[in-house]
Amino acid sequence: MSFDLEDLRRTAPLLLLSAAGLVLLLLEAFSRVRLIGRHYHKKLPPETSEAYAVPLAGSRTYLMPLTVLFLAAALGLVVWLWPEAAEPHYLYRRMLVLDRFGLLLSGVCITAAAIGALGAPAYLREQRMEFGEYYALLLLSLAGMVMLVSAADLVSLLLGVETMSLGAYVLTGSWRRSPRSSEAAMKYFLMGAFVSAILLYGIALIYGSTGTTELAEVRAHLSEMRSAPVFYLGMFFLLAGLAFKIAAVPFHMWAPDVYEGAPTPVTGFMMAAVKTAAFGGLIRLCVGGLTSGRVPEVSTGPTGWVNVLFVLSALSMTLGNLAALRQENIKRLLAYSSIAHAGYLLVGVVALGVVGDAARAPLIYYLLGYAVTVVGAMAVVAALAMGPGQERLPIEQWAGLGQRHPAMALAMTLFLLSLGGFPPTAGFFGKFYLFRAALQNPSLLLLVLLAIVNSLVSVYYYLRIVTAMYFRTPQEEEVEGHVPAAQGALRLAVLLAALLVLGLGVWPGWAATVAEAAKLAG
Amino acid sequence: MLPLSYFNYYLALGAVLFAIGAVGVIARRNALIALMSVELMLNAANLTLVVFARAQHDMRGQAVAFLTIAVAAAEAAVGLAIVVGVFRNRRSTQLDDLTMMKH
Repeated sequence: MSFDLEDLRRTAPLLLLSAAGLVLLLLEAFSRVRLIGRHYHKKLPPETSEAYAVPLAGSRTYLMPLTVLFLAAALGLVVWLWPEAAEPHYLYRRMLVLDRFGLLLSGVCITAAAIGALGAPAYLREQRMEFGEYYALLLLSLAGMVMLVSAADLVSLLLGVETMSLGAYVLTGSWRRSPRSSEAAMKYFLMGAFVSAILLYGIALIYGSTGTTELAEVRAHLSEMRSAPVFYLGMFFLLAGLAFKIAAVPFHMWAPDVYEGAPTPVTGFMMAAVKTAAFGGLIRLCVGGLTSGRVPEVSTGPTGWVNVLFVLSALSMTLGNLAALRQENIKRLLAYSSIAHAGYLLVGVVALGVVGDAARAPLIYYLLGYAVTVVGAMAVVAALAMGPGQERLPIEQWAGLGQRHPAMALAMTLFLLSLGGFPPTAGFFGKFYLFRAALQNPSLLLLVLLAIVNSLVSVYYYLRIVTAMYFRTPQEEEVEGHVPAAQGALRLAVLLAALLVLGLGVWPGWAATVAEAAKLAG
Repeated sequence: MLPLSYFNYYLALGAVLFAIGAVGVIARRNALIALMSVELMLNAANLTLVVFARAQHDMRGQAVAFLTIAVAAAEAAVGLAIVVGVFRNRRSTQLDDLTMMKH
């Protein structure tokens, strides 16, 4: 077991993303800017500093295509490694593992980020917050996600979470002149840092009780841990840390504010990619480290992780949906819907512990479907912004969009139907496969029933937006409003997401086959 | 696996520091104090890691502590930048003032 050049080749997507992030950072640092005064943005608070740097008009248009190119290359590397990953390979002294599960989830995150990046420049220009670090941070955060979903050790899990989150904190606060954006970043950062400390303390406790941080080794030591309180405390700390990252109740307090305050493309990126990667980490931890056929107490016992996640799942979907019913702001509504979806996805993780490997493919399919759906929905919200600082957020403002922006309204309808679980969309088959897999064990019947009732409730608030778009007349003063600057790339992003949502729904077979092949190591 | 000896005092110290830090984040209303409390929590976890490593005659815990120091430094840098961003927008670092978005 020593350092091996093969390891570098097998982590090519991770290395490419990190290098690309640094390249974009340098490009940004050496590009020319212009210093301008406060008049540039009328909504500026009076006490804000007098001048700031903005890029020369049209000087950075190459950044977005370059980013998408890097992301496509990373996706190509993922596909290139796919045949090799049929058998798991442990890398860097068993810190990371190359297997198809990690590769597929990396692919999902990269795809979601690419769709989000396509739509970003039009929005950033419209909101007068064009800045090149956006793409660098996106790529570096993605590198953290790739590390997280291929972690074979608690330490690489922590480093992945941190790399991913540090990028996300900065992206959240990147609209520097918006008090909302910096408020969201402050809340996200403080709670995130608090939770990282809890995560690290959990790792320390697990290390202290088992003598190792490697997930496979932790599993080998489980039989000595049947009733070790320190070990269970460590496990709960780790679960709490990851539950925060997936925004499961009761660790969700940050999510509505952060998702509302962050720039819209960043919100889409966080809802899709950060959530997918955090679920990847959670599955690695629970299945790779804390499930052993010989020691069922740790997973399915009264204080096992299955019970913990069972409660989190039931709470998340119920409270998320109930809160979403009352929302008038579309970003906040989708934030609570994202909490509810974390609950549905947790049904899948619970099923992984109870039913076993049969729940893995449905869970991956659901993650893929959810990621492309929310990225698309956020791209539509970004496309319909009505000028600097004026996004179309209250649902009343969506009235009559069916006539005025038929294509965008149609796409949004598709995404909302997918979130609500209507056929023939990705969301329907995701829920169908997931609940069917969970029902293989009758003890999950109650949870699945609760999930189905919740899905029915959620239809109400998704359809509320659809009816607003098609069956309500727009308010008078809005008719002569600003024409949204939905440009080619942003339209392309919405189109791509819509095609993926429809494609996954109409031909679910191919994605299900790929998800089936995405085996977990160990 | 743990030799129950004087190591327990260090572990207790780590737990107490961690708890103090956690209370600090939850109870103090100034962003900078909260940031310092987070650092205290991270260092309490570090202490715990190092003590466990020493008790088990294993270097891994100490190596992890080094990585954590790097993580904590990165976190402090980002955190301070965010505090500056908030301060520029509202001339205050009190967390109670962050009420623009309703709960």
